[in-house]
Amino acid sequence: MKAHTIACVLALAAAVAAQDEIHAYKAARIWPAGGSPVEQGVLVVVGGKVAAIGGADTAIPEGAKVHDLGSAVITPGLVDASWQRTGSPEDRNEQSSEVTPHMRAIDAWDPLDPQVVRARKGGVTTLHHTPGNRAVIGGLGVVVKTTPASAPTTLLKDDVSLRITMGAEPSMGNRAIRGGSVDSIYYRRPTTRMGVVWEVRRAFSKAQDYQQRTIAEGSPADPAMEVLVRALQGKVTVITTARAEQDIRTALRLADEFGYKTAIDEGVESHVMAEELAAAGATVMVGAPSADRVSGAGGSDGAEPRWSTLSRLATAGVPFVVTTGGNAAALPLAQEAMFAVRFGLTPELALDAVTLRPARLLGVDDRVGSLAPGKDADFVIWSTDPFDPTAVATAVHVNGTRIQD
Amino acid sequence: MNKHLIGAAIAAALSLSLAAQDTVFVKGGKVVTVSGPVIENGVVAIANGRITKVGPADQVEVPWDAQVIDATGKVVMPTWVLAHSQGSLRSANENMQNVPYVSVADAIDPSSTFFEDCLRNGVGTIHILPGNATLLGGIGMIVRPAGRTVEDMAVRTRTGLKLSLQAQGGARLQQVRRMRRALEEIREYLADFDRRKAEFDKEKAAGAIPADKQWTEEYDRLKKPGIDLVQKKLKGWMYVPSSAEVDEALRLAEELELAIVVGQDVEKAASKLARFKAPVVLDENLEYWTRDEETEAERKVCTAKVLADAGVGFALSLGAGGPTSYPWWQLATCVRNGVDRKVAIESLTTVPAQMLGIGDDVGSISEGKFGNLQILSGDPLAATTWVETVLLEGKVAYERSKDQRLQYLLKAPEPAPAKPANTGNGGD
Repeated sequence: MKAHTIACVLALAAAVAAQDEIHAYKAARIWPAGGSPVEQGVLVVVGGKVAAIGGADTAIPEGAKVHDLGSAVITPGLVDASWQRTGSPEDRNEQSSEVTPHMRAIDAWDPLDPQVVRARKGGVTTLHHTPGNRAVIGGLGVVVKTTPASAPTTLLKDDVSLRITMGAEPSMGNRAIRGGSVDSIYYRRPTTRMGVVWEVRRAFSKAQDYQQRTIAEGSPADPAMEVLVRALQGKVTVITTARAEQDIRTALRLADEFGYKTAIDEGVESHVMAEELAAAGATVMVGAPSADRVSGAGGSDGAEPRWSTLSRLATAGVPFVVTTGGNAAALPLAQEAMFAVRFGLTPELALDAVTLRPARLLGVDDRVGSLAPGKDADFVIWSTDPFDPTAVATAVHVNGTRIQD
Repeated sequence: MNKHLIGAAIAAALSLSLAAQDTVFVKGGKVVTVSGPVIENGVVAIANGRITKVGPADQVEVPWDAQVIDATGKVVMPTWVLAHSQGSLRSANENMQNVPYVSVADAIDPSSTFFEDCLRNGVGTIHILPGNATLLGGIGMIVRPAGRTVEDMAVRTRTGLKLSLQAQGGARLQQVRRMRRALEEIREYLADFDRRKAEFDKEKAAGAIPADKQWTEEYDRLKKPGIDLVQKKLKGWMYVPSSAEVDEALRLAEELELAIVVGQDVEKAASKLARFKAPVVLDENLEYWTRDEETEAERKVCTAKVLADAGVGFALSLGAGGPTSYPWWQLATCVRNGVDRKVAIESLTTVPAQMLGIGDDVGSISEGKFGNLQILSGDPLAATTWVETVLLEGKVAYERSKDQRLQYLLKAPEPAPAKPANTGNGGD
C-alpha cells in the first residue's frame, strides 16, 4: 500500500507541475485517431491538454520542452469500452435481484487493481467499468482514467451507461421452484431466454408507469425506476450484451418497443445482420477478436464467430468498437486491435475502434479518444506502429503527465 | 536397433508415396534459409522430396518445362518444427502414471483439425508426446501434418519417453520420489534379470542344467522403454513445471539422456538451466506477470528473454488455441520482449530440429534437406502475413486459396434473408 500511496503523491505532484508546462513531442508518425496518420508529426501539450498537432512544420511555442522521439509512434491513449477485469465476478454481479439498474459500478471500482496497471502499461488510459452480465439489468457503468491510485483525475464520467443482458447468462444457475424448501436465492426467475426478456419488458413498463405517476402525484423517488426513466429519456447510454443473432434481434426489438437506443456488447453474430444494425444506428462492441479460432470453438450463447465480422460491420457502416470484453484470455487492447487489422480492417479504422469510437459511445469524446486541440493530453508512445506485433508501449501519458510504471 | 529398422522401413515406404519424380522449383521469393544468408529473388529446387539447389535466380537454372511455383513478392522459409506437442491426441494422458509402454502412435488422430491448423500456420514437423499429467507417460513420435494414417504421417518413430515432474494430486516432492522410485524399480529389475541369467549360466556350466537348454527369457515388454531409458538408448523428454523442479531435473540428466521441457515459471532457474548445456523447450505462454510481495509492483516476465539472457537455448511451443497457437505471434512475442529476431526464428526451426535429431532433414533451406517450405505473403513476424503455400517433401500440402475453413471465417457472410416485421407482443 505504501508504494501506491507514494506513487499517488508523486503523480499528484507531477500533475500540479504539469499545469503550466509546455511540451512538444516529435515522432516518426502520429495517429491522431479519426483520420490519417501524420508523418514526422509534432504534438504540442500545454498544461495537460493538447494545444496543437501537425506535421514537421507545426509551430513549437517558446519555452517548450522538446522531446525528439526518433522512430517512435504516438497514438491517443486507448479506450476500453467494455472493461470487466477489475475485481472478481462476484464484485460486479449483484445477485439479490434480476433487475438492479441502480447498482453503480463505481462502487466496485478499485484503481489499485493490478489489472488496471497492466491495462495502463499496455497503453489504455480510459476504461469503461461496468456491472457484469449475471443480472438481466445489471446497473450503471462508469468511465475512469487509469491514472495511478486515487488521483483526482481518475473519474471521468459517472453513471454513463446501463447494462442489460440477453441470452442465457442472466438465467444461468437459476432453478424453478418445484415444491420442497426454497433454500437458495437461485430458486427464482428467470430460467429461460423468454423469462430474461420478460424481466426487461416488465421493468421498462413499470418505468413508463412510474414516469407518468411521478409527474402526476410526486410520489417518493424509486432509485431503480429513476435510472430506467433516464434510460428511456436517452440520458444514459444503454448497452445490451447480446451475442447470438436471435439475442441481438431481441435487444433491438426491446429498444424499439420502449423507444430507447442501445449499443450491442459482445456482438459475436452481428455480422449476419450488419445492415439492420446500421439502420438502427446501433454501435456494436466486439470483444477480443484474437480469441476466435479457425477450427472449432463457438462462442458463448452458441454464437458463431467470424474473422470477417469487423470488416462486414465496416462495409455496412455500423459504428463498431473493439474491446477486451469478458474474455479472460484477451490480449492487451492494442493487440486486439492488431488482430482486427489481421482480419481485414484498415489500421485507421482499427485504431478508431479502440479510441475515438468508444469515447463517442460513452459521451466522453470531448475529453479523450483522439489527439485534437483542447482535448486531454492522454497519449501513448510506441516503439513502432502499434499494429506491429513487436511494438511495445514505451511511455503512457495521462493529462500530459508521464505515468512512471 | 529395432527402431532404426522400423524408421527406415517407414521412410522407404514414404519416399515411394510422397516423393515427386519431377523437380519442383520455387522461384522469385525472398528466401530466408535460416542456416545461411537471406536470398532476394531466390530459387529453391526440390527433387525426390529433398532440396537439391538453393541460390539467387541468376545462378540456378530453371528448365523451361519444369514445374514452377511462383513466389514473387513473397517470403520463402523452412516450415516450422515443433519439439513438443500433444496435438491431436484424443486424451494425452493415460490415467495410470507409470505407463512407459504406451505410445502416441495409438492416439494420434490423423483427421484432427490440429493438423489442418499446423499447415495453415506453416508447421511441417511435429514431435508428439504424451501429456504432462504423468510420471513415465509413454513413447512419442515425429509426424508431418499430412497423410491419412499414422504410418503415412510418420517421420520418426520411438523418439523418446515422456517423463514428468509435475505433481499429480500430491506434493511436489512426492512426484520426485515417485520418479526416483520408478527408475529404481527398473534398475532393480535389470539387476535381478542379470543375476538370474548369471545363475543360469553358472548352473549350466556346472552341469545342473542340460547343455542344450538355452536362456530364452527376454526383458518384460512393459518395462522395455524404461530399460532403454536407464540404459540411455532412449531419450527422456522431461516436463519440468517450474523453477523448483529444475535441480532435480539436472540431477536426473546426469544419469539419463534428457531433453528438458519447462513450464511457464522458470525465471528463477535460468542460470541453473544454463548449466544443462542443451536447449530446452519453452511453455507456450511466453509472457506472464509476477508481483513483488514487498512493493506489490507487477512486472512482466518473458521466459524466452530471460533464458536468452542467461545463455540458454530454447525451442518454442504453440498453444492449443488463441494467439499462442500462431507461430508469428510467438516469434513476435520473443522479439517484442527483446529477443534477437534470428534467435527467435531458430527456436522454431534449427533448434528444435537438432533437439529431435533430425537437423539433417529439417529446420533450414539447404541442399540435402527435406523440401519442407512455406511461402508467406510477407514478413513472418507481421500481423498481416498469411501462409500461402506449404510444401512437404516437395509436395504441395496446403494452399491458402483452397483453405475452405479459413475462407469461411474470413468471407463476408451473405445478408440474412428478410425477416417478418416485429412479432413481439409489446409487453404484458
